[in-house]
Amino acid sequence: MAGDISVEFWVATIPFVPLLTFPIILFLGQYFNGKDWWRDILKEGGAISLMSMGIVLILTSMVVAQFIGEMHNGQGKDILDWITFDVLRSDGMTNGVNLGFGIYIDHISLMLLFVASFLCFLINWFSIGYMNTDKINDNRNHRFYAEFLIFCSGMLGMVLADNFLWLFIFWEVMGLCSYLLIGFYYEKPSAASAAKKAFLTTRVGDVFLMIGLIIMWNIYGSLEFDIIFNWNYFTNPVDMTLLKTALILMFIGAVGKSAQFPLHVWLPDAMEGPTPVSALIHAATMVNAGLYLVARMFPIFSGTADSGLIGDLADVGIIIAMIGGITAFMAAGIAFVQNDIKKVLAYSTMSQLAYIFTGLGAALWFASKGKPELALFALGASLFHLFNHAMAKGMLFMASGSVIHEMHHAHHHISHGEHDGFDAQDMTNMGGLASKLPITSTAMAAGSMSIIGIPLIGGFWSKEGIIAKIWKAAIYDGGYLLFIPAVLLFISAGMTGFYMSRMWFMTFAGKPKSKVAEHVHEETPWIKFPLVILTFMTLGGIVFASLHFIDWVSTGHAFHYDLVYEMQHAFLAMDKDGVIDSTFLILTWATIGLSSLIGPVVAMSLYGGNLKDGEKAIPTVSWLVKLSGMVKSRWQFNNKSLAESGLAEALRRRLYFDDLYDWFCLKIIVPIGLGAALFDKKGVDGVIKGIESGSQSTSTWIRKLTTGSARDYIMMVALGSLLLVGLIWGMT
Amino acid sequence: MAENKLNDGMYVIGGLFIAIAALMFISPMSLMEDDWVTLPLIGLPILGSLLLMGFSSAVPAWKKESISETIKYASLGISLIVLTITSLMMTDLLINVHWANISFNQYMYEVEYNWIESIGAEWHVGIDGLSMPMVWLTALLVPVTIITTWNEKKAWYYHPLLILMGGCLMGVFVALDFFMFYVFWELTLVPMFFLILNWGGKERKYAAQKFFIYTFSASILMLLGIITLYLLQDPSTANSSITGRSFDMHEMIKNAQQEVILGNIWLGAGTQKLLFVLFMAGFLVKLPVVPFHTWLPDAHVQAPTGGSMLLAGVMLKMGGYGMFRIPISMFPHAVVEFQMLLMIIGMISLFYGAWVCLGQTNLKRMVAYSSVSHMGIILLGIASLQPLGFAGAIFMMFAHGLISPMLFGVAGAFKHHYHTLEIGSMRGMAKHSPWLAGNMMYSWMASLGLPLLAGFVAEVAVLVALWFEFGWWVIIPGITLAITAAYYLWSMQRTIFEGGEKTELPESLGDEKPKDIYLTEKIGLMTLAILIVIFGIFPFIFFEMMSGYSSELIENILLDEITGRWS
Repeated sequence: MAGDISVEFWVATIPFVPLLTFPIILFLGQYFNGKDWWRDILKEGGAISLMSMGIVLILTSMVVAQFIGEMHNGQGKDILDWITFDVLRSDGMTNGVNLGFGIYIDHISLMLLFVASFLCFLINWFSIGYMNTDKINDNRNHRFYAEFLIFCSGMLGMVLADNFLWLFIFWEVMGLCSYLLIGFYYEKPSAASAAKKAFLTTRVGDVFLMIGLIIMWNIYGSLEFDIIFNWNYFTNPVDMTLLKTALILMFIGAVGKSAQFPLHVWLPDAMEGPTPVSALIHAATMVNAGLYLVARMFPIFSGTADSGLIGDLADVGIIIAMIGGITAFMAAGIAFVQNDIKKVLAYSTMSQLAYIFTGLGAALWFASKGKPELALFALGASLFHLFNHAMAKGMLFMASGSVIHEMHHAHHHISHGEHDGFDAQDMTNMGGLASKLPITSTAMAAGSMSIIGIPLIGGFWSKEGIIAKIWKAAIYDGGYLLFIPAVLLFISAGMTGFYMSRMWFMTFAGKPKSKVAEHVHEETPWIKFPLVILTFMTLGGIVFASLHFIDWVSTGHAFHYDLVYEMQHAFLAMDKDGVIDSTFLILTWATIGLSSLIGPVVAMSLYGGNLKDGEKAIPTVSWLVKLSGMVKSRWQFNNKSLAESGLAEALRRRLYFDDLYDWFCLKIIVPIGLGAALFDKKGVDGVIKGIESGSQSTSTWIRKLTTGSARDYIMMVALGSLLLVGLIWGMT
Repeated sequence: MAENKLNDGMYVIGGLFIAIAALMFISPMSLMEDDWVTLPLIGLPILGSLLLMGFSSAVPAWKKESISETIKYASLGISLIVLTITSLMMTDLLINVHWANISFNQYMYEVEYNWIESIGAEWHVGIDGLSMPMVWLTALLVPVTIITTWNEKKAWYYHPLLILMGGCLMGVFVALDFFMFYVFWELTLVPMFFLILNWGGKERKYAAQKFFIYTFSASILMLLGIITLYLLQDPSTANSSITGRSFDMHEMIKNAQQEVILGNIWLGAGTQKLLFVLFMAGFLVKLPVVPFHTWLPDAHVQAPTGGSMLLAGVMLKMGGYGMFRIPISMFPHAVVEFQMLLMIIGMISLFYGAWVCLGQTNLKRMVAYSSVSHMGIILLGIASLQPLGFAGAIFMMFAHGLISPMLFGVAGAFKHHYHTLEIGSMRGMAKHSPWLAGNMMYSWMASLGLPLLAGFVAEVAVLVALWFEFGWWVIIPGITLAITAAYYLWSMQRTIFEGGEKTELPESLGDEKPKDIYLTEKIGLMTLAILIVIFGIFPFIFFEMMSGYSSELIENILLDEITGRWS
């Protein structure tokens, strides 16, 4: 089964390349900031980190090239005995148990390894254009690149780790870096709060994850994938209730990291960081960590089902799918009313991740129910969606960064550097940028289409797969509770069509809504390259789909080419024997109609419009602009009453979750802390102080006996002697 | 003139070095074989500091400034000699000794001399897997503290006091004789008392007294325990003392072990419990645990930076070390009996300490309470009665010994450069003092248990072990982890970050321009930072010996009691 190639030591060097480069940048920057060569040639460290990421990309490509098609089963290699110890149980001491570090490679880690290193490289490239051309970042870009590199190494390490403990360790490293990078503009109170919020929210999840891991360790006696995935439940039965609890606790960790309901509050605020950081967090690294963790649980579910424990863990799958469904719907709703271009993308990330979680939930549910084929398909579709989403979202963020950057420059140009509260991220200031930013607008259109799931483009294939499988579980396989996420995902698909289109049309179509928007130019060369590359990656979804990417990420079988079957399967709901399932045929076309037709058309009519006279957009997007102008002139929707309703207000306030958590922290947590401090001062220390003053007053009182008068002393001697005599007499 | 003054000092200190070198190489070599502990680790710093202090007190007041540089370098030199010797010993042990094969109650570099023959007190020293990390930590922290607080005023007394402190602490960690243990245990109070009294803050007198009296009275209970243990021995002719008894710890642990092998309870269950309580009283106050912790914040807030660094770094660890060395190694029955109580005390310290931290406005006070909270983890590790828990507790002692000096070093630097300790009195420190801000963040991150830094290893080990014994109780430490993150991050936001372009400076700074930390502070703090990450990534350097020691301890002393309770 497993290939002949074994995992070698050098694979483990991948995360260490950036890890060893970061202190170099940090210290060089600290000492050489302001020097010409440091600023112009080394780009304040950007060039060094790009080189480092280049090496990582080359190494990763080598690993992928070597192992692709060979990794039907995962392969691990131990590298380090981290801590070794003995365990005392009722049957005696077990010697030499260890928690070690090693690397583990299978198709999932290969895919994520590629996604992470590829996107990190491009984002790094983009950053050189984005960060180094902004005066505000002068003399602190070295900090950005150094933290960027630890972030990447955290993600790479997490993907490669061969056990849950090291997965957790690198996971936390990413948490730290997200804290540092979100708070990059630390002098802004909003950024400092956002960073704190991100760290604390994910930390709450991490606590659960850690407890989950401790329980897992107690169940399996190890945290290594090799041992857990190949566990024999016949010979070594485990406590299934405990296992279920552990898995749910671990999932809560993933909820925190991947910003799912109810620990989602940090993600929109994380937009306070520079835009490349958003791209990094949303596409390449951080949020994928939670998905990866859940995907890693898959063999536990299939393993228990293979051992006859069918359905014992199915509840976990249902919980995951539920959380996914709720988040997908909720985030899509909130995205309706956002005017900040990055906030829209943030909620879109949340919603799309929720799709993946639902897909994974379905996969785990199928696996636990003993339906491996469906389970693998759902797993593959989810991971394929992860891939598509990462590529599209990375690009979307970089494109939005390009928009913001150029808006900012234009504003700078017009206002001569004065601060007048202009918000370069507010879409109500934009409009009609399609003619000014040809490459950016094309990229953004491709990315949005992929996220919406326009047929044939990247995201379509995977999203279709997820929706089909969750419905399948709900209709045919008795997972009635799964109807809830299934319906929610179906509705959210249409909502995605609306809010993504809204974002694009608000930004690029119509007449410029502010003076600044008229003066925008696309100029910085470093920014364009990653956009072009990723546009191809996104539009190339049909290539990946026809290569049976879904099969490959779920089973590790080599790519094989079959476009016709893929098309039949996706559009006609036809199975391998050529039978068409009419329910799914209707469902498929209903989803396509909702997401690709109704959603965008409504958005066009509300936010679209032709460009200013005389402006011409690049052919790749000009048809979109014209179409929107056509739609707008034909259909007029009045959304005024809806926009002013209580629902819209609630959505603008993010459904009051932030208010609730703020209230909880400020009115419950902090007062308890202050109360404890007061109690400690007055209560605990008060008792001690009481003893002090008590003994002092006692001694003052006793001192009074020393009167200095001989009469008193004689009296005392007499009394003492009497007492002594009495004592002796009493004893005898 | 100035040159001449300096030269005077140079001669004296040169003479001092020759005298000590002579002491080290002539007299001991003829008397003892390979004694690497007595004079190099204890004698050198204590004698050296006494000589330096004697010398500087003989110098008239107006001349003292001129000799201070010399004294500083001499102190640093002495502490570096100690560090070098300890590091060599450690390397030797790490490379040549396989810890899993060393049997319990066996010591390296063991030497024994008669000290006060009439009562059976001996000078008995030795090092094992428990004391080696502590010894090295002490040897390391003294020079680090000296460097970090290089510019402390009245340096001619201050720096010698630090090495005196180091010597006394070293004595505690290597002592294998109750008498010697107790002597050094109380001796450590003296330099610390003077450090607080002379270099402390406004309420230093109160704090110094409280510190001294509080911990001293707790150790009286321990002394009672020692005397009881002494008197309970069977007099034997093997001992040359008048009473026929000895204070030898090694012997007593051996006796305890033999009784365990025979299946008896050494000294009887009631006596064991009594002695356990007496000893633990001394150690728990030292550790400290809630509710006997209030001396610590006061002492820390008033103590000078260097004092705080050593106090938190090593002095608190004396409590944890003592627990392992005496009550746990000798009274297995009582340990198992009191297991639940220990766990609860640990939980309370951990949980309550973290909540109190959240309500603090004084930086040093917050860090002090975080020490209380972290010391709770040590107690939890002990209460788990698992080899992993013990090893985690010992590793916590070591890791916290690296992290807390950094915390206090940073707090001291903040006080020094910004003249305040109030959290929230300023915004945007990162702009003015990037090095200070960076070190502050790093140390706080280390303290909140970030992976790849030393503290995390200990926390994971203790929590895993805790689950075995107490199951879902592990939630309380879990919540504490989140609270710990909350108070540090909250303080970070209100000190290092925010403030806009212009930043807000504390009022205490007046018209002064905020400065970054000095080179010496940088060196000291960075040394600790590097070690924290090294031991975070490669904990096995010390963890192996700690876990070897823990396994041996459990297997030889506690195993029967633990399994007996299970069955």
